[in-house]
Amino acid sequence: MKSVMAFTFYAVRKMLLGGSAYYLWLACLGVLIAVGISGYHEQFVHGHIVTNMRDPVPWGIFIGTYAFLVGVAAAAMALAVPGYVYHWKPIKDIVVLGEIIAISAVIMCILFVMADLGHPERFWHLLPIVGKPNLPSSMIGMNVMILNGYLVLNIVIVSYFLYCSYVDRPYNKVLFMTLMLLSIPAAISIHTTTAFIFNVLPARPYWNSAILVPRFIATALCAGPALMVLAFQILRKVAKINIEDEALNKIVEMMVIVLFVNLLLFFAEVVTEFRSATAHTIHMQYYFTGIGGHVGLVTWAWSGAACNITAFFLLLIPKTRKNRIIMNLSCALVFVGVFIEKGIGLVLPGFTPGTLGELYEYSPSRVEVMIAIGIVGVGMLVFTLLSRVAIPLTFSEPLDDNGGITATRGEPDSYRPDPMGI
Amino acid sequence: MLARGSKPRNAPPRRRRPRWIAVGIVLLATPLLGSGKWARPENDDLHYPSRPLGPDAEATLLPPPPIDDEYFPCGDCHEGEPADPERRELDEHDYIELKHGDLWCLDCHDTMERDLLHLSDASPVKMEESWRLCTRCHAKKIPDWRAGVHGKRTGNWRGAKEYRTCVVCHDPHSPLFKPLQPKPPPIPAAPFNPSAGAASEEVSHEGL
Amino acid sequence: MKGSEQKKNTEVTQTKKQAKMQDSRSVSRRNFMKAAGVGAGALIGLPRDADAFDLEEYFQDHFTELSPEEIERTIERLERKYSKKYGKAVTVDTTGPNDDVLFGYGLDISRCIGCRRCVYGCVEENNQSRDPQIHWIRVLEFDNDEVIRNINFDEGDPFYDHEEAPAPGKSYLPIACQQCENPECVKACPTTATWQEPDGIVVIDYDWCIGCRYCIAACPYGARHFNWTEPEIPADEMNPNTHYLGNRPRPHGVVEKCTWCIQRTRHGRYPACVEACPVGARKFGNLLDPDSEIRYLMEHKRTFVLKAEIDTKPKFFYFYG
Repeated sequence: MKSVMAFTFYAVRKMLLGGSAYYLWLACLGVLIAVGISGYHEQFVHGHIVTNMRDPVPWGIFIGTYAFLVGVAAAAMALAVPGYVYHWKPIKDIVVLGEIIAISAVIMCILFVMADLGHPERFWHLLPIVGKPNLPSSMIGMNVMILNGYLVLNIVIVSYFLYCSYVDRPYNKVLFMTLMLLSIPAAISIHTTTAFIFNVLPARPYWNSAILVPRFIATALCAGPALMVLAFQILRKVAKINIEDEALNKIVEMMVIVLFVNLLLFFAEVVTEFRSATAHTIHMQYYFTGIGGHVGLVTWAWSGAACNITAFFLLLIPKTRKNRIIMNLSCALVFVGVFIEKGIGLVLPGFTPGTLGELYEYSPSRVEVMIAIGIVGVGMLVFTLLSRVAIPLTFSEPLDDNGGITATRGEPDSYRPDPMGI
Repeated sequence: MLARGSKPRNAPPRRRRPRWIAVGIVLLATPLLGSGKWARPENDDLHYPSRPLGPDAEATLLPPPPIDDEYFPCGDCHEGEPADPERRELDEHDYIELKHGDLWCLDCHDTMERDLLHLSDASPVKMEESWRLCTRCHAKKIPDWRAGVHGKRTGNWRGAKEYRTCVVCHDPHSPLFKPLQPKPPPIPAAPFNPSAGAASEEVSHEGL
Repeated sequence: MKGSEQKKNTEVTQTKKQAKMQDSRSVSRRNFMKAAGVGAGALIGLPRDADAFDLEEYFQDHFTELSPEEIERTIERLERKYSKKYGKAVTVDTTGPNDDVLFGYGLDISRCIGCRRCVYGCVEENNQSRDPQIHWIRVLEFDNDEVIRNINFDEGDPFYDHEEAPAPGKSYLPIACQQCENPECVKACPTTATWQEPDGIVVIDYDWCIGCRYCIAACPYGARHFNWTEPEIPADEMNPNTHYLGNRPRPHGVVEKCTWCIQRTRHGRYPACVEACPVGARKFGNLLDPDSEIRYLMEHKRTFVLKAEIDTKPKFFYFYG
């Protein structure tokens, strides 16, 4: 119990203390979050009328980004498989960072949903026992359950792992492996149920296709690893941690395969829609060509596709793939491309035109953008704080017995190099 | 390094692949498809019971709109005057637009008893019972009307009802419904515009 | 008042045991919630209209799980609140469904002239927000040949504005909630805040809805509408005869929809749109009664339902009279 307290104390101290660059970074995030709070305040005072969502397009960037970020949370799974199913050491080293990205992403997801709700204070109606959740019929109900389960699972894994590292004790292998392996089907489930939110609706032909589920998993396994590679590249520079090139290469190799699958599924969808050219094709038409002067998404559609295809070819050729700069660029392209495909191209065309043909072109309002910025700020803050605790514990030499940590308490940067101390 | 808790490095790699993962995936990802049925409470479960509804009451017939007394009773002008059976443009009654099949005044209005209508067998019909005349041609509408499917019916779906006879809704001289000015169209969904909307703060709409 | 009669009735029919069970369940749920999150909940959830925030309301159970006593208290509270707000005696009815009733609706598409009298009759009866505007009924205008060929909703125009309706060569298709037998919205709702009553009306508990708008996404008929901000109803136009599940004033941030005028039809009356229609195109009745007008038209007329391919089984039948 004592060691738990000590670990908690250590973690909090790591989060709060740091160099001036660290504080500057936190201040930047604070500004983002303040922007979000002020936006939310405005929405709170006036209601959702200050967003540009309306009855024909009842969901906008909140739910779009939510669908995207659920995918990003796949980061953990993308590492857990090679790390713990195939016991590949270079990846095993960084699994915890993947889990931290997943935690940050899921927290952002939950915040986006809360920002979207008309009555967030009634969230308890969703919970079993105290509320009256409509399970298993409502896919949002299912998704909330599974997403929160996934969050708890990842928090448990990360804190248990870090705690064991802190007290320098081997973790309980059965327990840890069980949790780790459980996180894989849990990750698949969150993507699956998120896809089900959309594709089980016969009212919306744009989504009502079983291929949406594999597409969700494919996009997830693109966006998550892409963000992870970028984050690791940044951490390598900023926190000076040792992540093996081999690990990054492996991640990118996996990503390019999934990216191919994703492009294939997307292509199949496009061909099916345009070749059959039923009344239902109108949504994809709106996305790619616009309808009668309503061309709000056309630029997005094509640039998203261009991002994904360019990145695919850049990553496919080993020569360009192994070039660090091109790799970073390609990962950024994948990240942006998937965001456009999922955050914009999934939700909005599904509602445009509406079920009775009303064509309302949605683009986010100022308040929506502000809230989204704030939530992303929170996500980055969570990632920063958690990785500040995690990095010294996962990437340093073992601590000495009388508690290297105790010794470092006074002078964190002198006793042993503090990667995030900057 | 990281895997501080793992077994010695030289231990043979474990062969067992966790196959149950696949089972887990299937179990977790398979939604039990819900039907709407269960979300529908049975009457016995509800704590807001209804009041019994009364039996279907007799229908009331709404009277037809009164005829302008400048022209009715017709006998005031036409008394004793023999009707001219010739089909022709009238000098009087130019307010009447006759657009009812191929009919002419005296097909319905009686030539002798000027205040009455008549059927094709010359039997007289009172103005208030004009439906008896209408149904001579439009007999097919009777069952629909009785059932409440043809014509407007107001009041109670179970209980007292108000029926309307033909001439309440249809002008017998020109029975097709006249166009009406429609009520204003709905306001199309529009992005947030604070100067027009309910929220009156100075906020400008900027799309992305 | 109708309300108090109703409450007596409720108490009589409810067996004591049931009542006790219900009561304890709800009370424990509430206590749990109070213990768990009163502070946090109140912090996140301070509503826009701070006067209206009411812990009693916040911890109120789902309507179908309220005990008769709780219903009574809730109704009293709501009547007090609405009466104060609108400066007139507002009643909130809770009359339930009748065993031998399943409602059905018919609309004679060959008669409708597109005058929108039903739209505004509905707004007045059901206390829809005037600003921002909410209309439960939407009238689509189609070219005649479009209607004959196939109804493609993308070709329909709800915003037609003519001097006179019907315009030459046009047909009209009024659409509101179809009260589906297999309602997509009910299946979608994550909190069971919307459900189908035994008489077939799909209702919403406005005090249970969390405002996620999934039902709007799920409804194939555009029948559900969100209160994007505090709805505005002029006090002198507000209809004080309300039903808990129907036309009582809605808070901001919840979804609302047509209930076939539950406050009228549960007492045997016709819905407001039926009464407003100048051409008698709208028909309403009991599907279980073989002598009803709705059964007559289903047996004698050519009928169709919208988007039959989705198999939502609407109880709203369009017919050619």
